[in-house]
Amino acid sequence: MRVEYINPFYKATIDVFRIMLNLDVQRGQVRAVDELVPVSEANVVIGVTGDLKGSLLYSFPKEMALEMVTIMAGMPMTKLDAFVSSALAEVANIISGNAVTLLSQNSFTCQISPPQVFVGTDGALSMATEQAIVVPLITSIGTFEVSISLHGSPR
Amino acid sequence: MWKEHYRIGSDLVDSQHKELFDRVGSFIKAVQDEGAWEERLEQVQATLEFMKEYVVIHFRDEEALQAEIGYPGLEKHAAIHAAFREEIRAFAQRVEQEGFDEEKVQEFAARVMTWLIMHVGKEDQKIGVFIRSQGGQS
Repeated sequence: MRVEYINPFYKATIDVFRIMLNLDVQRGQVRAVDELVPVSEANVVIGVTGDLKGSLLYSFPKEMALEMVTIMAGMPMTKLDAFVSSALAEVANIISGNAVTLLSQNSFTCQISPPQVFVGTDGALSMATEQAIVVPLITSIGTFEVSISLHGSPR
Repeated sequence: MWKEHYRIGSDLVDSQHKELFDRVGSFIKAVQDEGAWEERLEQVQATLEFMKEYVVIHFRDEEALQAEIGYPGLEKHAAIHAAFREEIRAFAQRVEQEGFDEEKVQEFAARVMTWLIMHVGKEDQKIGVFIRSQGGQS
């Protein structure tokens, strides 16, 4: 797992959060972990195939997730229902798609799978047997984490 | 949902965008309101019907504007429009055949909302930049 894989996700998050939510994003202290563990209530998992293979986990605290969708919809959201979960999945999907496009500029050709949402913090996903890097992303409405577990090499 | 900074500098397209955001807002409200699903269904169906027709009109008008001003990204932009038009058509067909399941409609509303924000907030803004680079309003 190389650090150069992280920047495209950070850049894509900055861009998507500015356009969709009008929010600035700062990067927190990254850390390495051995498995993908959801730390917050609202989670989106996206698979990656191609030159780089692995998984991405976006983990949003409940209050932040609700506030994000409140901003987008222009009306208050109070529960993590199908509408809110799907909106988060779309945001994670757009960030991942844009990040993968950025990675392709560095000679990595990858595809992403449709996002899967799950609510709750029970158990590790046990999807990543190899190391993952967790990137905390700090905004004025809360901090969420993206865990990136990607392995492979450029063509 | 509509924001003034979404304006691209074409009165027709800007007013159509505002209408789209307003309608998607009403759609979300109908989908997310308290109360029995059956009671909200009428509004959901009416909005879906409107959207299906309105995106055709809006995309056609916006592509005509792009052609008129010689926007270099027209072909790529039209392909994005075509894909989304097909998505709406396919969803409308699906619910006509399978019925209006609340969760499916919630998922669709979220998809339409995020698509619209990202498309108007990013792709369409490139048209605005082009219009301004050509010296102003179309």
